[in-house]
Amino acid sequence: MDEPLIVVVLLLVAASATAAVAVRDPVHQALVLAVLGVALALLFTVLQAPDVGLSQLAVGSVLTPLLLMLSVHRVRRREKGRKGKAR
Amino acid sequence: MNGWILTATVGLGAGVGATVWGVATGPLRRRVVAQNMSSAVACPGLLLLSQGFGRPAYLDLALLLALLGPAGTLVFARLLADDLAADPPHARAVTLAAAGYGAVVVLVLCAVTGPGRTMAKLLVIGALLIGGNLVASRALSGGFAASRRG
Amino acid sequence: MTRGVRLIVLALGGAGLAALLVAACLDLPGFGGTWHPYGDRAVEASLSRRTANAIASVNFDQRAFDTLGEMSILFASVVGTVVLLRQTRDEKRGKPEPEEVALPVRRYALIVLPVAVLSGLYVIAHGQLSPGGGFQGGVVAATALHLLYLGADYRALERVRPVGLFEVGDALAASAYVVTGLAAVLAGTAFLANTLLPYGTFNTLASGGTVPLLNAAIGMEVACAAVVLLARFLDQAVEIEKENGER
Repeated sequence: MDEPLIVVVLLLVAASATAAVAVRDPVHQALVLAVLGVALALLFTVLQAPDVGLSQLAVGSVLTPLLLMLSVHRVRRREKGRKGKAR
Repeated sequence: MNGWILTATVGLGAGVGATVWGVATGPLRRRVVAQNMSSAVACPGLLLLSQGFGRPAYLDLALLLALLGPAGTLVFARLLADDLAADPPHARAVTLAAAGYGAVVVLVLCAVTGPGRTMAKLLVIGALLIGGNLVASRALSGGFAASRRG
Repeated sequence: MTRGVRLIVLALGGAGLAALLVAACLDLPGFGGTWHPYGDRAVEASLSRRTANAIASVNFDQRAFDTLGEMSILFASVVGTVVLLRQTRDEKRGKPEPEEVALPVRRYALIVLPVAVLSGLYVIAHGQLSPGGGFQGGVVAATALHLLYLGADYRALERVRPVGLFEVGDALAASAYVVTGLAAVLAGTAFLANTLLPYGTFNTLASGGTVPLLNAAIGMEVACAAVVLLARFLDQAVEIEKENGER
């Protein structure tokens, strides 16, 4: 059967999810979440659920990192503006 | 458990496992390279799984990952242009190794499948995967001038 | 409560939860197996309506009403985001500037953008045949459009993306889904019943009755909703800034 494959991908998901929680900086978290998305899509594929895997790939590869990074960019820009005016 | 599934298990375990470690530790330049490599290594894995499970419908997953994986790396390359300009990543060896792995997998699968629509689809996926991988690496190491507005 | 006491409470609660989870997992039925009562009936219903993708049949035929609820969740959240991220009175909108991007990246974005949009439309159109469908294809198409921002700059994207048009398209597609359901009521059967159109030939594009139509409606709705959502985020991140006079 395919047990070793499922176990390997489950471990990958567990490792990347733990890393997503352990990392604190939002930019680093966005990077880890992108890798977690790929691992989850692989998990859904090896469990014979390609529709869900396709949804995960579609949303988690570009949309989620883009939303996170745009928010970080906005906050940084406002802080840079404040620092510039204070000086 | 046939040979395709075994190769996929080893490739995914080693490749994606290394990228999970690389994206969680180290300086920013290593993390973005690891994120880039995660989609470059997962896509050949999906191709092998599609062959191993005997389901050509799974090729659509590999196609979408080959299209959207490099786009995800471009997101980070553009919006982290300032941070990366200060400390650009140099990862030519890793990038070329991943591209080579992808090329080998696509060629082997083309040889097994034989001419037809599926082989054309495999070649398109391979071209998108390798081209996207190389362009995303180029974008990470200085493709975007540090910008004021974004 | 000091930090040490809080950690002890957390450890106790976590240990209790872990014990309950282990007890529950040991009592689960075996992984896999051959007894699938719901799955057998769902696949049989899907095949009787000649829909090759059983998931699409479950989503758009057997439980189409739930999909209507999911679509309205997406619609409502996009409306809420548009309201939250609108330009307020004390913010001004600057002009986006042209960016300097390396040539390989620009060329890659311009070549891959039409391929990605076509792939998204292909996934939507083949929802009743292969894995995919309206939601997946819609998100891919919307994301593909933003390759223009990722590979060039925001000014290029704004030229090809009239946001008002996409907002109208979102509302139109959501209404199209409801109207398709109401058509079944007008014909005398239940809301969203799949009895109006012929079921067609198995494993071809024209199969499954109303499943392709609902697929297309969801695909358009999700694509427009994702474009509007990203437009608001991009405006706030790239263009809008506070007026001078901020503290």
